[in-house]
Amino acid sequence: MIFNSVVFAIFYIIVTALYFILDHKYRWILLLAASCYFYMAFVPVYILILGFTIVIDYYAGIYLEKTLDPKKRKQLLFCSLAANVGVLVFFKYYNFLNTNLSILFNNFNAHNPLPYLTILLPIGLSFHTFQAMSYTIEVYRGNQKSEKHFGIYSLYVMFYPQLVAGPIERPQNILHQMHEKHEFDYGNMVDGLKQMLWGFFKKLVVADRLSIYVSSIFDHAEIHNGSSIAIACLFFSVQIYCDFSGYSDIAIGSAKTMGFDLMTNFRRPYFAKSINEFWSRWHISLSTWFRDYLYIPLGGNRVPQLTLYRNLFIVFLISGIWHGANYTFIIWGALHAVFTIIGVIITPFTKDLHLKLHINKKITDLARQLFIIVLVTFAWIFFRATSMDNAFTIIKNLKTIGQHPFLGDSISNFGHCLLAISLLFIIEYKKEYLPSKYNFFQHPNIYIRWGSLISMLALILIFGVFNGGQFIYFQF
Amino acid sequence: MALFLKRLFFFILVIIAADQLIGFCLRTLYFSQHKGQFAQTTYAVDSANQDIIIFGSSRAVRHYSPSIISKAFGKSCYNVGRDGQQIPYYAALEDVIFERRKPSMVILDINTWEFVENSSRYEKLSILLPYCRKHSELIKYIQIDNPFEKYKLFSAIYPYNSTLFIAANNKIFENKIPSDENGYDPLNKKMDDAGITFTKKILEQAKIDSEKKHPKLDSTAYALYKQFLQKCVDAHIPTFVVISPTLAPEIPNERKDKLLSITKEFPSVTFLDYSNNPNYNDHFEKFADVFHLNREGSEEFTSELISKLGKVSQQFK
Repeated sequence: MIFNSVVFAIFYIIVTALYFILDHKYRWILLLAASCYFYMAFVPVYILILGFTIVIDYYAGIYLEKTLDPKKRKQLLFCSLAANVGVLVFFKYYNFLNTNLSILFNNFNAHNPLPYLTILLPIGLSFHTFQAMSYTIEVYRGNQKSEKHFGIYSLYVMFYPQLVAGPIERPQNILHQMHEKHEFDYGNMVDGLKQMLWGFFKKLVVADRLSIYVSSIFDHAEIHNGSSIAIACLFFSVQIYCDFSGYSDIAIGSAKTMGFDLMTNFRRPYFAKSINEFWSRWHISLSTWFRDYLYIPLGGNRVPQLTLYRNLFIVFLISGIWHGANYTFIIWGALHAVFTIIGVIITPFTKDLHLKLHINKKITDLARQLFIIVLVTFAWIFFRATSMDNAFTIIKNLKTIGQHPFLGDSISNFGHCLLAISLLFIIEYKKEYLPSKYNFFQHPNIYIRWGSLISMLALILIFGVFNGGQFIYFQF
Repeated sequence: MALFLKRLFFFILVIIAADQLIGFCLRTLYFSQHKGQFAQTTYAVDSANQDIIIFGSSRAVRHYSPSIISKAFGKSCYNVGRDGQQIPYYAALEDVIFERRKPSMVILDINTWEFVENSSRYEKLSILLPYCRKHSELIKYIQIDNPFEKYKLFSAIYPYNSTLFIAANNKIFENKIPSDENGYDPLNKKMDDAGITFTKKILEQAKIDSEKKHPKLDSTAYALYKQFLQKCVDAHIPTFVVISPTLAPEIPNERKDKLLSITKEFPSVTFLDYSNNPNYNDHFEKFADVFHLNREGSEEFTSELISKLGKVSQQFK
C-alpha cells in the first residue's frame, strides 16, 4: 500500500476515525493491526522477519535493564544488534556479496559454492531495522527504560506512518507517546492534514512529474547529449527531494492527526551553504542516527584531525551502503565523505569570505548554495544510475553540454516540470526566508485560508501525476 | 471534534463546488479545441463514421494517408490513430465507433512490442477520461489497470488532468497549428547525417537490449487484440492487420509468433507484414525518425498497401 493510492486514502480515514472512536486501552491494538495490514499489503510473508527481530529486541531490552553485569549486557546488546544486522545483511547484501565473491573465485579459477538467491528485499527493511537498533542501544546506554508491553514495543517498530520509509525515530521521542492518551485535537488534525496535503503536492505535482523526464534520459543515457543529461540531473535532485520529503510530510502529517509527534526529517536542504549544513537538513533522522550511534562512538569531533577524516569517511561510506547493495551507492557515500572532509579543511579559509572579497554577503551565500547544489547533484548521478557503467556513460556524455536538449516526449511535460519546480521554489523560499509572512494556510481570514487550501488541491488535480507509483526510498 | 466535522463538511461542500467550477472551465476549454491531437481524439470518439477506419498508434497517424486510400476505393476514410497509444485504446475506440456506425473496412496498424508486458499502455488510456461522461462503455477499459478510476471520475477536474497546457496552447495558437489530413499527420522531414548516426546508435542499442532481455508477454493485450478482431469479423467487416515498415528488420520472436497464431484464428482477416521489407529496411531517406516514415515514405507505403488490398477491394467495391 502506498500513500499516493486510493486504497491508502480509505485505509487512513478508517484507521483515524476508529482511533478516536475506540477507548484508549484498545487503540494500540487498532494501530498494530492497521500497521500489520499496511505492511502485509506489500509481501505478506515478510511480516515474519519483522516478528523475529521484534521478539529478539523486546527480550533483549528487558534483560538489558535487569542485568547489571557489564559483560553480559554487552553480550545481550551484541545479540540484538547481530540479529538486526544479520537480517539486513542477508536480505539486502547477500547477493551483492555473493556476486563479488564469485568474481574473486573466478580470478583464482575456482567455483563459488554459495548459490544466488532470488529473494525480494523486504520493503523499508533498513528503516525499521535501524529504528529497532536505536531502541536496544538506548536501553543499553540507560537513556531509555525497556518497554514491558509487547504490543506497544511492536507498535514502536511497526507504526504504519513511518514503517517503510521513516522518519527513523528514537525510543525517547515516540515510545512514551504510544502510552499516552491522545484526545482529539482540532489543531493537530488540521495541521496534520495540511502537512499531508503539502506532501502530496511534492510527490504528485513535482516528484512524479520530474521522474517522467528523468527516466527518459537516465534510462537511455547513451543516446542523450550533455544538455539533456545536465537537465535530468538537476531534475533528479529536485525529484528525490520531493519524493522523499513528500513521503515524510505525509507520514508526519498522518501521525499528527492522531496526536503523535514524529521528528522533522527535512529542512529545505538545497538552501544549505555547506555540505555539513546540507546533511543537517537532509534525511535528518538518518544523519542523526549515524551521528549518535556511529560518529560519536568513533570519537566524534574531539579527535586528531586525521582520525576525524577517517571517522567521516567511515560514516558516509556506511551511509552509502545503507542505501543499497550496489557500488553506485558506495561511490555516492564516498563522494559525500570527500566533499565533507574538504569542507572541514577549507572552512577556516572560506569563513567570512564576503569580507575578504569585499562583496555583499548575499552574493557569497548564493554562490555557496549554488556550489552545494552542483556538488550534491553530481553525487546524485551515482545514486540514480543503475550501474557504474551507466553512471560513467552519464558523466562522459555530460561533456557535450551546450547542444540542444531533448525536451521529452511532449513539450507539455517539460512545461509542467518547470511550473512544478517554480511553484516549489517559491513556497520553499518563503518558508526559508519569510517564515512569518504570507502564511496563507494559517491565515486568520477563512476565505484566504480555505482559498489557498483549495488552490493547492486544484493544482494537484490539474497538474499531478496519478500513476507515478512507488516512493524511491521504499526500496531501502 | 464536532467543530472539526462541521467545518470539514462545509469544506468538502466548497471543494465540490470549486471542483465543478474549475472542471467546467477545463471541459469548455478542452472541447473548444479545433486542432491538435486532443481535437483529433474528440473527433474520433464523437464523430468518426467514415467507410474506412484506420486504427493504430503514432505509426498509424504518420503512415496511412486517408486521401490516397479514399481516392483508390472511392470511399471516405479516416485515421483514428493516436500517438503513444496501443491495443487497449484501439479496442476502446472500436467499441465507440462501431456503436455509431459499422465501417466497410478496417485497417489496424500493429507493432509486436505492443504485446510485451508494460502497465503504461493501460495508464495511457487516461486520455479517454474526458469522454467517459458521454461514452460510459469506455470506463471498462480505463478500469483495466486501476479499478478505482471509475470513482475518480466523481471529480470534474480529474478527467482533464495534465491537459491544461496543451489545450491552452492549441486554443491560443490555433492558427499556427497545421491541420491534419483526416487524422493523417505526416512528418515532413528527412534525416540528416547527424540524425542517421543518432538513429543507428539507437537501433544498435535496441538490438543489444532485445538480445539481452526476454520480456514477459501481456496476455490482456492479446485478449484485447482477439476481441478487436472478433468484433470486426462478427460485423462482417473486411479487416487488415498491418505491421507497417520499420527501419530495422524484425528478428523472429515469441510475441510475433503469438500474434500470428491469434490472427490465424480469423481466416477472413488479412495479415500484412512490412517489418522485413527490403524496400524500407535501412532506407533512412524514407524515415523521419527511428519509428516513423516521413511523408514521401508513408505515401509510397500507402500506395503500395492499396495494391496489396487489390483482391479484397474488388469485393469491397
